[in-house]
Amino acid sequence: MQKQTIMIIEDEPSVREELAALLAGEGYRPVTVTDFTEVSKQVIDVSPDLILLDLGLPGRDGFSLCAQLRKECEIPIIFVTSHDSVGEELQALSLGGDDYITKPYNIPLLLARIRVVLRRRSGGKEPDVLEAAQMKLNLSKGTISACGKTTELTRNEIQILACLMRHAGEIVSRADLIDTLWNSQIYIDDNTLSVNVTRLRAKLAQLGLSDCIKTRRGLGYQL
Amino acid sequence: MTISEFLSDHLHQIVLRTVFAGVAAVFLLAAGTQAGIVILLGIVWFLVFLTGWVIQFVRSRARLLELQSIMDGLDQKYLFAECVPGGRNAYERKIMELSARAGRAMISAVSDAEAAQQEYREYVESFVHEMKAPITAAGLICRKADPEIRRKLTGELAQIEAHVERALFYARTQSPEKDFIVRQENLAQIVAGALGQYQALLLLNGIRVETSCLEQTVYTDGKWAAFIVGQLLQNAVRYRRNGNAEPVVMLSAGRVGKRIRLTVSDNGIGIPAHELPRVFDRGFTGSNGRTRGGSTGMGLYLCRKLAHSLELELQILSKEGEGTAVTLTFPAR
Repeated sequence: MQKQTIMIIEDEPSVREELAALLAGEGYRPVTVTDFTEVSKQVIDVSPDLILLDLGLPGRDGFSLCAQLRKECEIPIIFVTSHDSVGEELQALSLGGDDYITKPYNIPLLLARIRVVLRRRSGGKEPDVLEAAQMKLNLSKGTISACGKTTELTRNEIQILACLMRHAGEIVSRADLIDTLWNSQIYIDDNTLSVNVTRLRAKLAQLGLSDCIKTRRGLGYQL
Repeated sequence: MTISEFLSDHLHQIVLRTVFAGVAAVFLLAAGTQAGIVILLGIVWFLVFLTGWVIQFVRSRARLLELQSIMDGLDQKYLFAECVPGGRNAYERKIMELSARAGRAMISAVSDAEAAQQEYREYVESFVHEMKAPITAAGLICRKADPEIRRKLTGELAQIEAHVERALFYARTQSPEKDFIVRQENLAQIVAGALGQYQALLLLNGIRVETSCLEQTVYTDGKWAAFIVGQLLQNAVRYRRNGNAEPVVMLSAGRVGKRIRLTVSDNGIGIPAHELPRVFDRGFTGSNGRTRGGSTGMGLYLCRKLAHSLELELQILSKEGEGTAVTLTFPAR
């Protein structure tokens, strides 16, 4: 599958570069804007799948840029800003922004929002079924199937497994897992995570998939 | 103005005229006028002046009452001199003019002070926004660090963010203009926002978070409400009990009549009963703050101010050694 392009319009160099590195690591193709004079022309040239637009740009503000971009194209825009008043949020969304995130952002939350906006624009929905490592996870039914057998999972177990399956083959750190769970309003701590992973492993073992979640000591878990 | 005040104001005139009348009577009697006529003249003279004094007293009193009612009706009292109708005589006009000059000096001093406050507030807001870029960058950078360092740095960054956030809300509460928007909000989202912000702090300190029945609709400003909840979470972390029991913060909601009530409770060290009435005071840190350190005395003060603007009812219950519960009651629609 071709990588999706995300254009980062952000004037703070350190944030811009770290964000680009983060997105590249998540399998996107980040394009950064460093010259803020003819941004809309650059946007048309690159024609990205998504724009992350900072509101406090030098010269002109992100609102007028968004309004101009909306006249010319339909590329989804997520506002990223350090101004967190409800008024600005309403203005951003009424100008045709697709989402609004305030700095300093919670990284898993930012990635989740990006996923949602990209899916919505491509017409698809968040897939109901995740497939990886010979397993099928049905998110709406809350079931896991493998080797012809199916079993039910709890809400916590679903989220843990979904996070691991989205990053199948990679090491997911405990901190990242906890971040992801907190974003799904599951407020667990380190110990509870261990307990949940142990239970999840036992359920997977019943399906004949023992040892499919590997513990990488000091690093995290890996599917 | 009372009669005695009026008399004492005009005492010298009364004395002077009485002396003049006496001298005139002596002169008339010496000139051979009959005593009866002198007495009659005296009575007429007295009645004429008495009528004059009474009229002057009544008019002055009416005028003072008029001015008094103008003053009472004014919001900004220093605008008084600008609002009174012109003086009735040269003397009054002169006094009015001086008072108007004083008023104008006051008006310009007040508007200078307001402008300075506004500028300061804008500076604090822009400072806070500037701070957020490096905090964001640092957060992104520390993802690459090893887990232990990342955990600690994330905790420190969260502290910086909390302090910066408090400065922003302090600036907002100090200015009379209201910059919040009451909308329909989901309480679970508000709580999730606050928990997300203090996630690192809560996890680092081993606080267990429990939630129940948060799926409620409230009408408030989500960001302001999340800030209040965030302050309560910070207190739960700061005043946890270091014992065998695991520190827990519980967030639960429920319906009270037409209103929604959110309770944030912990099993921390609690607040002594005699200090409880003062915890919302600015700068009050109490014995807990003194023994533990790190208290600013600003958190609950800001909560009270914001809650007042949002028309939230804020109550605190606590028992020393058992824990603290703060309830936020959101107004009905």
